[in-house]
Parts: sequence; structure tokens; C-alpha cells
Amino acid sequence: MSAASAQSRPALPSIDFSSIRPRPRWRELWLLLLVGIALSVGSVSLGATERVQAGKALSFSPAQSQPLLAYLGALLLANLAQVLAGRRTDQVLLPAVGLLGGISLLLMERLPQNLVSQSIGGMTLGLGQVQLLWLLLAVAIITVLAIVVRSDAWLRLYKYTWAAVGIALLVLTFVRGEDVNGARLVLRLGPLSGQPTELLKVIVVVFLAGYLSEFRPLLVEQDSRIGPLRLPPVPYLAPMVGMVAIALGIVVFQRDLGAALLFFLVFLLLLYVATARSAYVILGLLLFVAGSYLMYRLFPVVQSRVDVWIDPFRDASGSGYQIVQALHAFARGGILGTGLGAGLPMVGGRPPIPEVHTDFPFAALGEELGLVGVLAILGVYLVVIERGLRIAAAAADDFRALLAAGLALVVGVQAFIIAAGNLKLVPLTGITLPLISYGGSSILANAVVVGLLLALSDKGVEPPPPPRVGGRLAGLRSRLVQSGR
Amino acid sequence: MSGEGRLAFGRLRSAGLRAGRGAIGQNVGRAGVTLALAFVVLAAGAGYWQVYRAQELSTAPDDPAVVAAARNVVRGRILDRTGAVLASSKKDSNGEPYRTYTDPSMSPVIGYASRQFGTAGLEHTYDGQLAGVVSADPIQQLLSKFRADPNDPQDLTLSLSLKLQKAAEKALGNDKGAVVMLDPRTGEVLTLVSAPTFDASPIANPSTSQKAFDTLRQDKDKPLLNRAIQGLYVPGSTFKIVTSIAALSSGAITTDTSYPQQPKAEKTGLLVSGYRVRDGHHPFTDDRALKFPEAVEVSCNIYFALTGLRTGGQKLADWAGKLGFGHPIPFDLTTETSQVTNGGGKFGGGFKDDVEVANAAYGQAEVLATPLQMALVASTIANDGVLMKPHLALSFSSARNGTHTVAPEQLADVTSPDVAGEIKSAMERAVEGNFGEIFTPGAAVPGIPTAGKTGTAQLGSGEPHSWFIGFAPVDQPRVVIAVIVENAGHGASRAAPMAGDLMKLYFDTFGR
Amino acid sequence: MDPLILSLWLIRLAFLALLYLFLFSVVRVLLRDIRQAAREPSTELGRLIVAASPSGEPPSGSVFPLDAVTSIGRDVNNSVVVEDDFVSGEHCLLTFRGRAWYVEDLGSTNGTYVNGDRVDGIAALGFGDELQVGNARLRLERSHR
Repeated sequence: MSAASAQSRPALPSIDFSSIRPRPRWRELWLLLLVGIALSVGSVSLGATERVQAGKALSFSPAQSQPLLAYLGALLLANLAQVLAGRRTDQVLLPAVGLLGGISLLLMERLPQNLVSQSIGGMTLGLGQVQLLWLLLAVAIITVLAIVVRSDAWLRLYKYTWAAVGIALLVLTFVRGEDVNGARLVLRLGPLSGQPTELLKVIVVVFLAGYLSEFRPLLVEQDSRIGPLRLPPVPYLAPMVGMVAIALGIVVFQRDLGAALLFFLVFLLLLYVATARSAYVILGLLLFVAGSYLMYRLFPVVQSRVDVWIDPFRDASGSGYQIVQALHAFARGGILGTGLGAGLPMVGGRPPIPEVHTDFPFAALGEELGLVGVLAILGVYLVVIERGLRIAAAAADDFRALLAAGLALVVGVQAFIIAAGNLKLVPLTGITLPLISYGGSSILANAVVVGLLLALSDKGVEPPPPPRVGGRLAGLRSRLVQSGR
Repeated sequence: MSGEGRLAFGRLRSAGLRAGRGAIGQNVGRAGVTLALAFVVLAAGAGYWQVYRAQELSTAPDDPAVVAAARNVVRGRILDRTGAVLASSKKDSNGEPYRTYTDPSMSPVIGYASRQFGTAGLEHTYDGQLAGVVSADPIQQLLSKFRADPNDPQDLTLSLSLKLQKAAEKALGNDKGAVVMLDPRTGEVLTLVSAPTFDASPIANPSTSQKAFDTLRQDKDKPLLNRAIQGLYVPGSTFKIVTSIAALSSGAITTDTSYPQQPKAEKTGLLVSGYRVRDGHHPFTDDRALKFPEAVEVSCNIYFALTGLRTGGQKLADWAGKLGFGHPIPFDLTTETSQVTNGGGKFGGGFKDDVEVANAAYGQAEVLATPLQMALVASTIANDGVLMKPHLALSFSSARNGTHTVAPEQLADVTSPDVAGEIKSAMERAVEGNFGEIFTPGAAVPGIPTAGKTGTAQLGSGEPHSWFIGFAPVDQPRVVIAVIVENAGHGASRAAPMAGDLMKLYFDTFGR
Repeated sequence: MDPLILSLWLIRLAFLALLYLFLFSVVRVLLRDIRQAAREPSTELGRLIVAASPSGEPPSGSVFPLDAVTSIGRDVNNSVVVEDDFVSGEHCLLTFRGRAWYVEDLGSTNGTYVNGDRVDGIAALGFGDELQVGNARLRLERSHR
């Protein structure tokens, strides 16, 4: 993202720092307090369960208090920083996202720490510690974006540059990337490595929002005619469809089916939001069905995924192993769950579900928190989506509306795809559960999404209070006029 | 871009930019509703796996929790109905438990629990309960997850009698075959013998496991196959009871029905659609046209072929279906599905033609049944037309949980007590009647009125299989038996006397 | 039942209950927002209807939904741009303060009039009042939705 802010300099309006006044955010603070209490109780529950399982005497103290305290402290700091910045931004998003991140932290502390090992400066960090670092960084990114971003020009004006950056990222991954489970997902540049598709999803939304808002009147009203047929305005649709097709094509070549599905669904939804023409959506779905069938016939990977989806129990110890184990985990959880730390029976020193920390955290939570917990988590995702879409509906112009809607949809659709995959509602794809799965790329990309949503939610200058004396108005006038220009 | 002020978030809004924005707000709402509906589907999916399928999946033998528990937990014992120990655990040199089994005659039923080869038989079915992962008490089950020793291994008491089981296995000797005995009033299975059997103890013992399993797998006699529930045999004349139930229940015949062409057909064969159904002549009945009870007593094939044709393939298949043919029988172990025909034929009930119906009516053609299935047929008659669900597990008990008893269940209301009574008295004649005694020697339990029916399954080549199904005492039956001995000749020669001896042993053991 | 085990159970359920307490609190906030939005549809606090506009820009009859702060003038950066020779670049400012609308003359050359009276500094503006800016006459009305 650092390259991005460098480009945007010329269009940034100067911020009048003298006009910044602290604004309390009681609502956010209260909700963060609830989040803190809930997570602390969860941590105590986890700690006590682990102690009982280790055969020690039962006592009620949290599993590991420092990581959770550090995380909660970061959330409070984020609140404080926003109070000082004084913007009238959304007060529900941060607590909701903070709860998801906190659940992620508890889960990653609870899983076997040796699933991940990262050496930083001579220290070897395990799963929970690495995730904590990413989460702290995520809170920082959210806060900085929420406070600093005051203009959308750097996103709107350079949409083709963004598209080019995205495609370059994909091509680079394709050429230089490393294979993970038969999919070319990970790009390694020097000491850094990450999954470019996570960042790409933000870029795709920015591009689509920019393009659609610019050509919205044409897409809504104009038709191109071929004889008696009324068709959508092909020339205006072509560049956008082309961009999506390129993205999809490369994604398919990388075998990253989850990301392909995500991009496509978000594209369709956003196209609908921009134009309200269901014909586009129907056309898109027809293309999707045809494309899926073609891929099913052409790619053995797709074929085997679909076959496993239809009946995973037929090869429960082979190709269907992961999903069958996930379903068993849901079943063991039942309604109330086994409790944090009490689920996931170890098989040969490993959790029963491979990749539980990246692809199946939803199944693990399903086991330990039960159906009741699963519904709560789905509820929190719906809250995030609702806030995002409300921000979109209240946005001042088309670009911001489409950007906010796209960012909210990308989180919601991604959560749906992986959760539905875990539950065998759709074929399983290797995609992360936003804000809960382990992984730097995923956590940070979603932090960018949340940070932008917060910045977009700014309600602007508050209506001034009723005048007491006529003479005071001169100051008010100059303030309003100056800051407005 | 008319000015930078417009680009800044949260500054003055321009009224001019509002044109058409209401529409986007609406579209956003619709997209949100779509996504919310998708999340409702997710919730429903979670409910399906976490509530509807939870019990089944979480107690499945291949569930990691069950597997992990099975490895370290001292499994509950398995006991017979009198409390005799059938399976218990020992510890090896590492302190890890393994199973030992009392008697090989029980092996086809109990199966084995081996570290190398997993579980089979009842050890597989009730793995969760024996390993203590599943509790009969749901509240205990929830609380158990927080214990230091979460598992609550339960002892499993079976309805089987070790004494009867041993006797039945000994009676079969070196022959292949099966014996099923059950209580018609409750469906409790008393004996479920399959011969040849095997010894499960060496499979469960880690030091001999591999060798024992390899030897068994290569055995041509297939001792791992439980013939009582997985062996499909031509039932021969024992199937006439099924035909009787269908014919009398549907009103196709009464007990007074006779067929004038029957005596002649015994000598010339019965012409059905150009094909001759043949039967030996019954020398004892002269050239009389037989009525139903006599036809059962002398086991007249022509009579039942004609009855089958009068009843029709559809009704024959319907009533057979009520008795359990055509679908797996709900039972503690996986059963093979019995059939009256291969199906797919154009004729009613899936038969090919009249000829197949006529032959099926006396238990030939494509009719195939497991010994358990034929025991259920006799059980239905014995219990006044009501078929009880057969079961092996009587109760589960543990120190923590107390004892939970498995209640008897009704499987089907097959026919009226009247029809059952008519068939019952005909079957009594088949054992105790003047001619019956000639056909069914040795089946009668001395001093107790006994009913039954022999069968001789004609095979393409080789000696026929010898069948007997029956029950006693006739007025209030307490024990039902089905015996098959492979390639042992006529039903009368081998199966009937064995059944008589085993029923006598039942009354000697459990009282008259 | 072991009391310690029982309390472990309770704390486990307490975690789940707290998740729902959070959701409940959030939903209350969301509902309040929705109700608020319904009371003040899309923060539209009122609307200006152009009653007469000799210059033709804005055309008479056009409607401007108003935000809390709306500037009127000939300059393009105003919220409501009135192309009239007698209108100053930054002519006047409409503000919604608490419950009522106020109009403030920004030192215009030809003045701002409410129902024919010249505004000196700041004046209250009621719904139905007519505002005269140059030759243009604009009427403040309540929003309908």
C-alpha cells in the first residue's frame, strides 16, 4: 500500500489540523468493553479446560494473559486515537471486527503451536504469537486508515493503475509463486511472502467501483442495438469484463478456485448495485454455469473437487478426508460445543483436520463453540456487512457508495464461500475466513478493507449548535467556508 | 472534478450529486438481503450437521474422538443374557489394553476390536458406548467433556445365551450353516450362530494380530462372513409360509380352498404359460384335492404354485416386503437384503412372468433369504402377526451412569391374529400331524406342542441345503428358530432334528 | 456433580452468552440508527424549491434537498449555485441548528431577504418562508419522505 499513497499526493487536499477537535466515542468504547469481557471469559474458559486436560488441578485463570491483554490494549488505543482525531466515523465496525480477531487469537493459541513456526531475530514464534503480531498490525492499519484517509481521489483517479498493479501481482505469482496443495498461491519476495489474491480482492473492488461509477449512467441507460436485439452497451462493458476475465483466467491457471469464485460473485453483485439491471446478473450467472461446466470437463482438479463435494464419505480416508473430518468436528460440537480447548481430539499428535488454522477455523469453532457459537459468529459477520452496506447507502457519491458496498460484499462473500465449503454446502476451496483464519496476507488485507470502510463512514462536519449571540457567527462562518474549500 | 472540497470525505455535500443515488441505496439493500439469505442457508447447514446428523457422525467408529478413546480406554465388557463374560480387556507389556474373547462361537456376532485392523461386528456398532465416548444419558454426555477422564466405558449385555450359542455351534459340527433363535414377543435374539466360525482373540492380541488376520482372510470357507445375517440362501419350502401370509391376508384363498387340478398335476406337472411346474406325488394323500392345512403338512408345491398365481406377484411381494424382504433389516449388525425376485420384471411385484411367480411361491426361482429373515417370518406367525424388531443389545451399564435398557420395538404389523392362527395350526400339523411327523422327524420338543416348516433348497448341482423354521410352544410361543445346514440334503434329514434339540435345550435352560 | 466442574461449565456458557450480549447491544445500536434514518430520511433536513428564477439557472420548479449546512451563491463551489447578476459569489449560508433553520447573509452586495425583509446578520427561517437572493425566489419546505 505504500506505493499507493505516494501516487496520490497531488490530489490530497490539505488537512486543516486546527479544525480537529477530540470527539468522544462512547458507543464504540462500550462495545469494546463488552468485547474485552467476552474474550477474557473465553480465555479463562480455555485456560481452565487446558489445565484439566493436562491432569492438573482446576483453577480459573486465563490461558495466557499477555497476548489477549496486548490485543485488547491495541483496540483501546485505536479507540483513543480515533477520539483524538475527532472524525464522525462508524462506532460499531471496530468492536465487531475486534471480536472476530479476538476469537481468532483464542483459537490460534488453543491449536498446536507447532503448526507454524517463524523465526524473527533469533526468536522462534509459534502459531498464536505470529497471529498476535498480525492482529496488532491489523489494528494499527485500521486506525491509521480511519484517521488519515480523507480523500478518495488516490483510489478513484488511478483505477487503471490499480488494475495494472493487480494484474502484475498475479503474473508475478504465476511466474515466481510457490505451490501450496496444488495451487500456486504464495509469492515470496526477499524475506516477505504472502498470498497476492488477498490484496488483489481489494484492488479489484477499487477498480470496479471506479469504473462503474464513471460509466454508471451509460451502463444504466444506453443499449447497443444489433438488429431487433437490445443489448447492453458493449463498448463500455468490454474493458471491465476484460479485466475480470483476465483476473479469473490467471486465477484459474493458479488453481485458486476460491478466489475466482469470490471475484466473480463480488463482480456480479457490484454490477447489480451499480445498474439495478438483473439482466446483467442473469447473463453473468449463465456464463458462470457454462464456465463451471467447461472447467469441470477440462480440469481434473475441478472434477475431483466436485466429486468429493457430492459424496466425501465415499473416500473418507483419501480425497474426502479433510471435509469429512470437518463435518465430524461440527457434529462433535453439537448445539453447545465442547468448550474452548476441549474439542479437536489429536490424531498422532496432530489435530484431526489438516490446515485447520487456515482453511477450517470455522469447523474448529463449530466444534468448540457449538451451533450456538457458530450462529453468533455468523451474526457478527452480518453486522460487519450491515455496517458496510449502510455506509454505502449513506455515501455522498457513486464512487464511495460502490466502494463501500464492494468492500462489505467482499468480506461477506468470502466468509460465505469458506463457511459454506466447511459445511459441504458448496465445493471446498482453499480460501481464508476473513479476520479469523491464520495468515498475514489475509488479516492485513481485511484490515485495509475495514480501515477504508471506517474512513468512508465519516459523516462530515456536524451541524453547528443554535446561535446564542449574533456576533459569534463570524468565526463559525470563516471556519466553515475555509475548511470547505 | 469541480473542486477539491468535493473529494474530501465528510465535507459539504453537493445537492447536485444526489441525482439517482436513491437507486443505489435500494440496490445496496437488495444485495444485502441476498447475502443475509445466504447466511441463513449457512445457519441451516450448520444446524443440519450439528443437530440433525450430530449423533450419527460423532459416534461413528471412524470419528477421531472415538478412535483416540478406543486406543487408550479399557473398553466395557460384553456379557451374555445371564451375565457370562463374552469379551473383556487385558493390558499388554506397555500397559495398553487389548481384547480377549471367551468363546469362538460368539465371534461372528461380537467381531473384534483390534489396534491394527479396527473394529468389526458389535465391537464396531457399539464402539462409542464400549469405549465410553457415547453415553446413554445426554446430560452425562455433555458433562463428560470436562472430566479429566472423560470416557465412561459401558458394559454391554447381549440378549444372546452363551449356552445355546455353544450348543448350536457344536450341533452344526463341521458343516457350514447358521442357526438363529429369538424370542418372538420382544425380538431379543437368543442365538446367532454362523459356521464355520473363527477365534477373535488372536486378532485383538497385538502380538498375533497380523498373522491371524491374514490366515482368516485367505480361508476359502469365509469364516469372517456371518452366514446368519449375510448369507443369502434359496429358502425352499420354508418360503411357503410367506406365500401363505400373502394369500390368506389378501383374501386370495381361505383355509378351505382346494384346486381340482392339483392331484393330477402332481403326476403330470402343472402347465403354467407353456412351462411345466413339477412336483413329486404325495403317496399319503391319495388323489384328493388338498385343503390349505394339509397342503402345508405335506408341503405340496403344486398347491402353493397355484396359490401364488391366485395371489399375484404384486401382493406376494407386498407382504414379503412387510416381513423384511427387499430392504435391509434394522438390526445391530449390517444385514444382507433378502429378495423374492431379481426385480425389474414387467409382471406385478417385479417378477418376469407367471412361471417365476409360481416357482417363487414355493421358495425357488429367484427367492433368496438370510436365516435371520426366515426366523423373522416364523416370529411374525408366532407373535400373532406382529413382527418385533430383532435386537442383540439388551442394556448398557456403567458405574457412573447406571443401567439403560433397550426397549423392545415393533417393526411391522404384518397380518391379523386370525390369519396368523390359521398358519400356526397348519405349521403345528406339519410337525405334530400324522403326515407331518414323517416329513419333519425330530423337530417336536417332547412334551411341548411345536410348530414348524422344513425346507429343501434345490440347487443347480450338489446336495440341497437343509432348512427348518419353527417355534414352540404353539399356543404361546417363547422361542423361534431358523436353521440352515449347507448341502445337507432334505430339511427333514438334518435341520429339523437339530432345531428340536436346540428348542429342548432352551426349555431345559430357561424353564418350560 | 463436582462443583469445580460445574463452574467450568458455567464459565463456558458465560462466554457464549457474552457473545450474544455483544450481538444484542450491536443490534440495539443498528435499530436506533435505522429508526433515526427513518425520522430524518437520508439526513435531508428540508428542501429548497425554486419559486422564481428569471435567469433560468437554476430553472424554476427545481428542488434542492438540504444538508445541515448549505451555501448559496454564484460561485460553482456553492451547494446551490444561482446564476444571477445580482447574486454575490458567496451570498448566504443556510444552517440547521438543533431544531430550526437559520439564514446568514455572507456580506452580499444586494442582500438576502426573508418574506421581503432584509436579513441583517442572521435570521430564523421557517418552513414555508420565502428567501430572495438576487432576482431568484426560493421557498424552504419540509421534506416529505
